[in-house]
This record gives sequence, structure tokens and C-alpha cells, in this order.
Amino acid sequence: MRHRTKLSKLFTVSALASGLLLAGCGDDGEDGKDGKDGVAGNAGPAVVASTTSGFTITDDAIFVAPNAVDGDDITEALSLALFDLPEDALVVLPRGRFTVTEGIIVNSARGLTVTGYGINETILDFSTSNGDDAFRFQGGNGITVRDLGVYEAPKNGIKTTNVNGIHITHTATVWEGPLESDNGAYGLYPLKSQNVLMENNYAYGSADAGIYVGQSENIVVRNNTAKNNVAGIEIENSSMADVYNNIAVGNSGGILSFDLPGLEKAYGSNVRIFNNQIYANNADNVGAGVVGAVPPGTGVIILAASDVEIYNNQITDNDTTAVAITSYFLIDEDVAGYLVSYGATMADGWSPTVKNVYLHNNTIARNGSAPRGALLAPIVAGYTSSMNSSGMSQTFPAILYDGIGELLSNLGARGIGGFNALVGPEAAADGVNYDPYSPGDLICANSNINGNPAPEYDEVNTGLVYPVDPATATFDGNGNPEAQLLIDQMVNNTYLNCTQPRLAPAVVNFRNTIYGCTGDDLADAACAL
Amino acid sequence: MRNNNKTAVAILATSLFLAACGGGDGDGDGTGGTLPPVGSALNAGAGSPTGAQGSCSATTSGVNWDALMTEVCPKLSDYNLFANATDPTAAPTRGGVPYDLSTALFSDYTSKYRFIFVPEGKTVSYNPSEVLDFPVGTVITKTFALPANTAMRGGEELVIETRLLIHRTDGWFALPYYWSSDSDATLAIAGKRLANLTTINNQGQQITFDYSVPKAADCNSCHSIVPDLAGPDDDREQIFLPIGPKARYLNTDYAYADGTVYNQLQYWAEGDLLTGLPSDFQSVEQAPVFDDQVSIPSLSADELNDAARAYLDINCAHCHRAGLTLPVDYAGPAGSSGVQLEYGRDYATDPGAFGVCKTPVAGGKDGYPFDVIPGNPDDSYLLFRMTTVDNRHKMPELARNTEHQEGTALIRSWIDNLPAAGCSTAP
Repeated sequence: MRHRTKLSKLFTVSALASGLLLAGCGDDGEDGKDGKDGVAGNAGPAVVASTTSGFTITDDAIFVAPNAVDGDDITEALSLALFDLPEDALVVLPRGRFTVTEGIIVNSARGLTVTGYGINETILDFSTSNGDDAFRFQGGNGITVRDLGVYEAPKNGIKTTNVNGIHITHTATVWEGPLESDNGAYGLYPLKSQNVLMENNYAYGSADAGIYVGQSENIVVRNNTAKNNVAGIEIENSSMADVYNNIAVGNSGGILSFDLPGLEKAYGSNVRIFNNQIYANNADNVGAGVVGAVPPGTGVIILAASDVEIYNNQITDNDTTAVAITSYFLIDEDVAGYLVSYGATMADGWSPTVKNVYLHNNTIARNGSAPRGALLAPIVAGYTSSMNSSGMSQTFPAILYDGIGELLSNLGARGIGGFNALVGPEAAADGVNYDPYSPGDLICANSNINGNPAPEYDEVNTGLVYPVDPATATFDGNGNPEAQLLIDQMVNNTYLNCTQPRLAPAVVNFRNTIYGCTGDDLADAACAL
Repeated sequence: MRNNNKTAVAILATSLFLAACGGGDGDGDGTGGTLPPVGSALNAGAGSPTGAQGSCSATTSGVNWDALMTEVCPKLSDYNLFANATDPTAAPTRGGVPYDLSTALFSDYTSKYRFIFVPEGKTVSYNPSEVLDFPVGTVITKTFALPANTAMRGGEELVIETRLLIHRTDGWFALPYYWSSDSDATLAIAGKRLANLTTINNQGQQITFDYSVPKAADCNSCHSIVPDLAGPDDDREQIFLPIGPKARYLNTDYAYADGTVYNQLQYWAEGDLLTGLPSDFQSVEQAPVFDDQVSIPSLSADELNDAARAYLDINCAHCHRAGLTLPVDYAGPAGSSGVQLEYGRDYATDPGAFGVCKTPVAGGKDGYPFDVIPGNPDDSYLLFRMTTVDNRHKMPELARNTEHQEGTALIRSWIDNLPAAGCSTAP
């Protein structure tokens, strides 16, 4: 158990030009292996390989365990290679399926690229890991992860925190087998980060969100597939996010935009969800916490988040509803208790209400055939029996809006107007309030397309659980508003009949290149919608 | 890794401290440097970095400061921090001062032996609530040793690892050394996992667990504060900091090797090692002593709350912190989690920051609806996370591979005694 020998053996690639470590460990004695002596030649780095996505690997890269064979444990080589990296390092993981038995943490990396040989060619299996997250990038900027798969992480797959500039592409996070509660938490997980670009990834089997962006800003999530997770793609307490050209299938909820209470970044804004295929998200919800409340069979759910535009998506075959738009009062109905429970976070600007959600030009078909989920149980019971505004059993609304936050706001002092006293000056200046909804606050849905065959138009409905107009509201003996379960066919535009201004596109500046609809995708069809 | 008998070693370890603390000048023999000690400071004669490139193979009579400042040495002994290179638990090289914390991070029941080395001529500046301001050149050593029996610390112990925190000119730098043999500790950048270690706890139960020596990269997980990135052009980096040596944890008596029992802060101040200690000593914050001997049922309500708050602070708040006395727009690595557990945070203002009635954000577990349910520790996710060793859920994330039964008993009692909240009656 002498480390000295192990260390020198591991530094097989002299291009790991960390003078620091080499000084510490002495001559590795293996320079020149494979004909590479690690000293940059005059001709510049030569291309030695290409990943399945076409990314070129050059001979000046740091090759981790290049001679490892399937099943080898490459933990130590990986830990050593990713410690104290030079700027703009290219770290190459070997081809094959390998075991990693510890979580890998990378600190303050600048310009780092970690690549394998392809999303199916380089697989790291963390099923026996003693750590929690498979990879965690803490601090740093301009970091790329690509062309590899992270399997069976004990907790999260790839977490990045406080990184400015994170690009994850052609990367998989997978928990194989059925979706179970002890699968890992988040798959791809940028948190408190800036300039986030997530594309061409595959997230499967997370017991929370497959692709989750939390408390971040300037975000593009595109061309990913999220399958068989509790939440497919989730944008939480984040601002300036574009989510487009993704596939969300087989999750409990397809695409989520949430603002949750009590977080350092108290609320998000300006989230655009467009041109995604969101279908058959009917997995049983095995999650815990707030995401555990997402009704199975939900295409899109907007929870207590404001300034969200959902357009030109294909939202089909979700058993409960295509799009649910709800305040936090559906999660916690104890309105009187909000001061105690959420006073501090409401001062920071978190709000249980949902405002300015604009749903247009989506194709909606074959949703609502088997609505379920504990959160919606009484609402489901009402719509699928005669206990709704139509007086007869209806196909569950494809567009479901709870309305209660808006009604309570519109009720002024009799509702939640008193919450205005909680809002701190900074949040108030940013427009957070509990006044009656202004036109700019409204939830609007128009120009959505009923994709069902003509005779079945009535199966695509819009539902309002509570009326938003105090004049039509009714109250129980305690003065609390009563649910009315309003419903009509979407095509009749009876409810949510308004428009909102379009939201601004997200801009990701990654290593001085602009990505998204104002950058490399300027000519993409989705960006013209 | 080796066994030693601490009692015997302790007896041998006194000479240096007699010299260092007795106020003598010119008593420059022993392990001190060739330089004559200057004045009566605790670090008189310790030497200091020269600013030149160091060498791991340099032979120095005192601390190998230059190597510490510039080199990652393969062996702990290269730095010459201990009079006896095979024993990092006692007898530091001239200038080293031992210290202890009144309440400490739990690390799988290990005993910890801490020393601070401040370059000669430099002093530590007092800070009322954050970690003390240590000058460039400061080195902190912490050695982890697993006792055969936690009721008999200092007896038979397995010395496992020694971690260094080095304050270099470009910031703090951490290095882990693993005692791979009896004779020396070797650099362990990739960490080390030791299977099936055992100890007997204070209740007389034998506990078996795997012990993990963290990787060098893991140090930042706890030892950093991270910038709250203010916009797309914000390139600030995380800042590495020590955690334990804050006034409130040092503000307790220590039994020095020469038999002196003295408050550590006053000892440092009177030894010209610490400046700025308030003359009104009563104003210095003090965290209570909590160790495995403390009888939790005997604590008053105030003592229980104070002990629990200190325990949560030292075990959790290096990550779970935001605002308060941090630099503007920095937070702990878990500052974004919604749970903040700093000693200085006012509970009444925001119980939710302590997890009270807060739904878990990331993860969560069925059967644990809220982080903290006052009066109901069994259903509180926070306590579950402190108890379990399941990697998906356990807290702290690192350096805990077995339950700290005494610590969880304390937090259980704290949750039991919190004032009832809206979720207290939840199923």
C-alpha cells in the first residue's frame, strides 16, 4: 500500500503537464509511451481520434487510463487527472464501460473539456460508488462535458454549481431498469450557474428530474431527450431560459417550470418552452418532495412561476393533462399560514401566484384519458363526474388552470392583498405584488390546435378550477372561495382568451460564442416561431 | 497507518512547549531553527517562508516553509512539521501550537490532533464571527486517529490521515496525507478508502464501518464559499477557507503539554500570536462544549438549544450558509439549498431557513414530508439525513460513514423541543 509507486504508475501521460504534481511525485519514468513524449512539438497538436459526435481529440490531451479495459476501476486515474488542471485542458476518458467508486469533484476549472469517445462508447458506471454525485463541478468557467454516459449515480449524475459557462452535450445520465424511488436524483444538474447550454443529451430513469436547471440564468436546453424520469426537463427558479427542440416522453411530467419557496434565488422569469415533443408522460410518480406531487400523465406543468411562454409544442397522449398551470396554493392550501411558512422567502420575491403564462400554437391531442394523481384527486373526481360547470362527465381538461391565486389576488384585502406587506423593496421594484391581476399578469391561451380527429373536438377542453372574477366567485360558510370546475372546449376560447407580448430569447455566451436563437440557431426553424 | 500509544507519546512531547510558552528567549535548542528566537511570541524562532522556490528534499531544522509555500511534497515528513516525523499528534516543530474546538465536526469517531504554525513575526487577526484572519504562510495540520474505544481517547488509536491547510500567497491550499506505513504519511490526491474499521463507542457498542480519506479535490466541498454569480459576465471564483478556527470554537480551555490549562484565545493573545482580541473578553462569542460525554437529558432548554445550534453550525453550516457575516454575494456551497444553519442565524425570524415545515427541494424521501417537523424528529428529513449512511441521502456528504449517535441524539432532542409549527401535526 505504498502510494508513491501507484502515483507514478498513474501518470502515464506526461501531457498532464501539471508541474505541481510532477514535482510532487517525481519522474514518472514512463515518458514516451505510445510514442508521445508530452512535449508539444512545433507542428501543434495532432488529431488522434474523433468522437461519435465528431469532436476531435488531439494528442496534447490528458488521456485518463488510456489502456483500461471494460470493467476496470478507473477511479484513481480519474481523480488524479481532474485535480489541479491547467487552463483549457482537454481530458479524455477511455473507450468502454468502466467502474468508478468515488464521486468526482472538479474545482474552479477554467476552459476544461471532459470528453469520452461517444455517448454510448464511454460509459462510467457508478453503481458501486461510495460517493453521492457522480460528477460535481464547483466554480470555474467555460466547462464542457461531452460524449460520455454516467450510469447509476448514487445521487445526482452531473452537478455543476456556481459555474459561469457550462456546456453539456452528447452526454447521457442513466439509471437502468424500471423507474424506482431509489434511482438517483437529478441527471444533468446545473445549479446557480450562468450561461448554461444543455444539448443533445439523453436523460433516463431519474427519480427526480432528468435535466434540471436550478437558480441559474441565461440558459439554452435544446435537442435533448428526457425519458422515463419523474420530471423530464425542469427549469426551477431560473431566468432567461429557452427550452426547445427536445423530446420528453415516458416521464411522470414532461417539462416543468417551477418557482419553489425558500431558495437563495427566490424566483425566476422569462422561460420559453417551444417546439418540443411532449408525449405519453404517463409513468407512475416515484418521486419525493414537491416533484413527487406532479400528477402522472402531465405534459407540461407551470407551478408558481411567472413570465412563461409555451408555444408550438406537440403535447399528446398524456393521461392526465397537456398543460397544468397552477399557483402554489394547490401544493399548500393553508393561505393563512403563508406568513409563517414563507414570509422570509416572500420578502425576497417568491410568490405562490402564477402570472403571465402564454400558451399558443401548441398542438394538443389525445390527453386526459386517465387522469390521476393525489394532488388533483378532487379535481379529477369533479370533472369526470357531473360535479363540474357543465353538469356532466367530461374529458379531463387538456389545459388546466387552478385560478385560485388570481382570484385571491383579485379579491384584494379580502383575498391575499395583505401579502403585499411582506414583499421586500427589491422584489417590489421588480414588480412582485399581490394586487388584482393586470392585463399583463393574465394567463392566456389561444391559437392552440386541437389535434384530435374532428368528431372528438370536445375531448380537448380548457378547465378553470376556480373562477378568476370575484363577481362570479362563490364562497363557503367560512368565506373561502369554492371551486367551480369551469370547463369548455378549448376551440371555443371561453377561458384564457387573451394574448401576451412575446418573451425575449435567451442568450448563452459560452467561451465568447453566442448560442441559442440569437446566436448559432438564428436560422433554426424553431427560432422563427 | 499504525497504532501508537498516545499516553506515552504525550509525556515525551513537553519540552518544546515548555520552551515556547515559558517566555524564555534564547532557549533555542530542541527542534528549533538555527535562528535565535525573537521575543517571547509563541512562534518565536519558528522561521518563515523566504519567498524562494522550496524543495521537498531540503533539510531544515525548523518547518520547511518554502516547500509548504510552493511544493506538493510526496511525503508529509518533507515539510518537517513534527519533531518526531512518525508522530503527527504531538510535539510540533518550533512555533507550532496545538488547539482544539469546543464543538467539532464529526468524522467517524476519530480523535483529531490540530496544530497551527504561523510564520515568525506574523500574527493572526481576530474576527468576531468568521474564521480568524490567518496570515500568508500559516499552516494548519489536522491528524485523524480512530480510538479503539471512544471513551478512552488518547489511548490506543489508529492514526489514519493528516490533512494540511496551507495559506499560500494565492490563497489557501489543501493536501491530504495518508499514513500508509508507520514511518510516514504519503500524499493521497485520490483519497483512500479503508474497509471495516472498528471502534467501541461510549455506550460500549462495537461499530464497524468503512473510513474514507477524502480526495484532495473534495476539500473544496466544505472549505469554500462560492460567489452568487450576478450576471453573465460575473467571473468571480470560489474562495477556500478554513472552517473550525473561529473565535467561538477556540474560546475554551485547552490543557497544554506543559500542564498549563488556559483559554486558547487568551493564550494566543498573550503569546503574541493573536491581535485584536477584545479587551472585554465577555463579548467574545462562545460555542458550548459538546462531545460524546455530554449528557443530553441533563441539559437545560437553553443549553440544549445552544449545543444543537453549535453542532449544526460546525457540522452543516460550512455549506449550509448564506448572507449574515459572509462577504457580500458569497454563500456556502449549499447556500442555494434553502436550508441555512449558521450559529448566528436568528431562529425566530425565519424558522424555514432551519428546514422547519420546508418541503425538500432536491431529492427528498417518501415518509419525510418536511426537513424539520418540530416535535416529530422521526419524520424530519434533516434528522434522517444525519442518521442514514445511504449515499443518496446522507449528510454531511463527506467524511461520515457511520451515524454519530451522540450527535443525532442531540438533534433529535432539539427537534423534539422546538416550538410547534404549522406542520407539527402533519402525518
